[in-house]
Amino acid sequence: MKIIVAIKQVPERDARIRIDAAGTGIDLQDVEFALNESDAYALEEALQLKEANGGEVVVISAGPERVGQTIREALAKGADRGIHIESDDLASYDPLGIASLLAAAIRDEQADLILTGLQSDDLGFGQTGVILAELLAIPHATLILKTEVTPSGIKVLRELEDGWFQHVEMATPALLTIQSGSNKLRYATLMGIKRAKLKEVRIVSAADLAAADPALKPGQPALTLLRLNLPHKQRSTQILAGTPDQAAAALVEKLQFEARVL
Amino acid sequence: MSLLFVLPASALASSFGILAEPGPFSLAEKLLLVALILTCAYLFWRRFGLVVAKIRASRRDPDFHLFPLGPRIRDFVWEVLCQSKVIRERPLPGLAHAFVFWSFLAFALVTLNHIAVGLGFGFLSPSGLFGRFYFTFAALFAVTCAVSITALFVRRFLIQPVWLSRAGHKLSWESGLIAGLIFALMATYLATYAVANGSPSAHVLWWLHTLSLLVFLPLVPHTKHLHLILSPLTVFLSRGTFAHIPPLVGDEDFGLVAGKDLTQLVTLQAYSCVECGRCTEHCPAAATGKALNPKEIVLGIRSYLNDFGPASEEPLLGKYNSQQAVFQCTTCGACEYQCPVGIEHLPILIGLRRGATNTGAWEDDYGSKLFNAMERNSNALGLSSAERDKFIQKQSLPIFDGSQEYCLWLGCMGGYDPKGREIITSFVDVMNYLGASYGVLRKEKCTGDPARRLGNDLVFQMLAEANLETLKQNKVKKIISICPHCVRTIQEDWKEFGTPPEIEHHSEFLARHQARLPKSPTPETIVFHDPCYLGRYRGVYDEPRQVAALGGTLLEAEQSRERSFCCGAGGGLAFLGEEQGERISHVRAQQLVATGATTIGAACPFCNSMVRDALADSGPNPPQLLDIAQIAARNLPPKPAPTQP
Repeated sequence: MKIIVAIKQVPERDARIRIDAAGTGIDLQDVEFALNESDAYALEEALQLKEANGGEVVVISAGPERVGQTIREALAKGADRGIHIESDDLASYDPLGIASLLAAAIRDEQADLILTGLQSDDLGFGQTGVILAELLAIPHATLILKTEVTPSGIKVLRELEDGWFQHVEMATPALLTIQSGSNKLRYATLMGIKRAKLKEVRIVSAADLAAADPALKPGQPALTLLRLNLPHKQRSTQILAGTPDQAAAALVEKLQFEARVL
Repeated sequence: MSLLFVLPASALASSFGILAEPGPFSLAEKLLLVALILTCAYLFWRRFGLVVAKIRASRRDPDFHLFPLGPRIRDFVWEVLCQSKVIRERPLPGLAHAFVFWSFLAFALVTLNHIAVGLGFGFLSPSGLFGRFYFTFAALFAVTCAVSITALFVRRFLIQPVWLSRAGHKLSWESGLIAGLIFALMATYLATYAVANGSPSAHVLWWLHTLSLLVFLPLVPHTKHLHLILSPLTVFLSRGTFAHIPPLVGDEDFGLVAGKDLTQLVTLQAYSCVECGRCTEHCPAAATGKALNPKEIVLGIRSYLNDFGPASEEPLLGKYNSQQAVFQCTTCGACEYQCPVGIEHLPILIGLRRGATNTGAWEDDYGSKLFNAMERNSNALGLSSAERDKFIQKQSLPIFDGSQEYCLWLGCMGGYDPKGREIITSFVDVMNYLGASYGVLRKEKCTGDPARRLGNDLVFQMLAEANLETLKQNKVKKIISICPHCVRTIQEDWKEFGTPPEIEHHSEFLARHQARLPKSPTPETIVFHDPCYLGRYRGVYDEPRQVAALGGTLLEAEQSRERSFCCGAGGGLAFLGEEQGERISHVRAQQLVATGATTIGAACPFCNSMVRDALADSGPNPPQLLDIAQIAARNLPPKPAPTQP
């Protein structure tokens, strides 16, 4: 079973986020990067499937040179090889553009299963995986918590809203977007890191992929990010004066008409 | 024929106080003696040579330096010749052992002369001035030795302390035989005083003495009495630093995975074990019904070496030692501290954990969660570093900018844990009162202690390197910390990756300034709980007591100072799941409560947290639990209200 896991490097959860001068991206100075959380679960799912069924796990990621570090970390956890689509202006791609790059890079791999995280922790479109499946013309299922290989393909458990779940059986090859928390993540080991140095990482440039594939037109993105804003966090305290009765009445009024929770 | 030895003193032979000589030996006897010596020497070497070969074939210790010799000689004289550890930790059996040992030393010359006499080259005349003195000197030792070995025999086989029996094994019969042989050696020597010079009885006694000696020889390398030969060497060659964790070398070194990873020191130590069980007696895991038994770990390595040898690929955790046991160690170091033959348990236990964790063989939900939290959030509690920022802001802690004397290291507990924060707040009050200049780092990562002790060198290295870089950038010269684990890890463990700044524990700082700190107006009774990483690891026992004494009168728990009983948190265990058997923290809390003290003084946020939880379960009206910084801060005058500028 050959499994490809598409992963993304995102700013670390604790990173101090500042909007850049253009107002459409974040200032990457002093930002440390980590593997996108749901991608970590996708990788774990792939590793467990490989351990149970044999085969190969290939990780793929697009981005500048620093993304190589995240690919190495995935190799250290047990992936067999990596593909790095090198691009310094990833921000200029929309999900369709990224998915097109990924599709071009993995089309020849003939994978049985492609896993991605549910969505990225930075932009959070939740689209890349789904579009990738469409471009490769394979079925997909999103929000996956569990997988089980069957003789005819794969059986998966989807998380729906309000505590509902859905069981789906589908043929392979297929693409699944994995939900965070679906598994227990393994820890990276010293041996893994040392072995990862010996594993193959194929580097392809985004420009070369575009040149080789006429369908990949790096032109006008279908989606443009206009402006980023930091959420305004505000906490204000009001002391309600008066007798307890008056204060209670004022509180009810505020809860009803200001906070609108009653 | 006048070939008889007519020694000058022969006329006095029967006189009291002079050792009788056995008379002349026939050629046949001499040949028999030579044949016996050669046979026993061969039998000895057949086994001992094997042990030597295994030690030599083991991997070289990567960071072993023979020099400087000074400390080695000092340890040798103090621990081997003076038997200091043997006596101090078990005074009566220890003294008995020391007398047997000193008798062996005293007998060296006697024994050499004894054999020489049999071959016709006797060089010590029993009636000469030196001879008379020396043989009498040896005879005094022989008496104490005979009494001691009898007492030790009675203790081992009649009283039978549990520490002496290996789990599931009977007491070794060889120990009894050897005790008998030692007694026979002393008895035959002393009896020689009572027989006539040159008499047949003296001759027979000579042969009995010789046979006891020769039977002893081949037994030594087959039994725990191998320590007679190896342990002086083990003590002399020890790593020198308590609980030292050796560096990993090259791309294929992940710790103790298989026989090929065992170093010469580990193999030497495994064969030196005398099976006295002091390590197990003091082990908090063994005392609370866990699978871990430090003596069995060492003997397990020995059995492994006997079976598979030091080049084997067979995993070390398997037939003889279990992963479960190895991960129950709190790294409190009581075993290593107690060991009288120089075995260093911590490098072995942590080495085995490294072998399991660095290769991913250790699968533990709590462990994985901890490592992932340390990797992602850079703190062991898995909280966002924004939480630490908020605490710093709320307490208005000054940021270290290079102008202050101390960098106050918050640590995971001080920065994130509510109770740990209370300790920091109190300590900061005291520092302010004393006018000390300090600042905290804007960003600080876990020192890596739990990862280090659980054998995760990857996470440890990442954290150590990042922290060293931060400290360097901030030009930190002196660090002060409320956590003995942080202190130890920064000072010792980080050395593998750079030069850490000077660091001290807050107890040392507070003790230095105790004269300026007010005493409690309402004295209480206080029992101080020694944290393992402050006491055994750092040798700091008196300073925290001096600070605790600001609050009242000190009491001592049943086990304290060097023999202190762990709280159960060390070695990363605070972050793992429920313990097997009884909780270590409960046993310790009971010991502290039993003193009747009204206050328990702690000096480690981990101990604090463990003992606090245990006290909640220890019955009504438990004593209050305070860090020594809190004890010191309580007596400070109230802070002046902030003045308007």
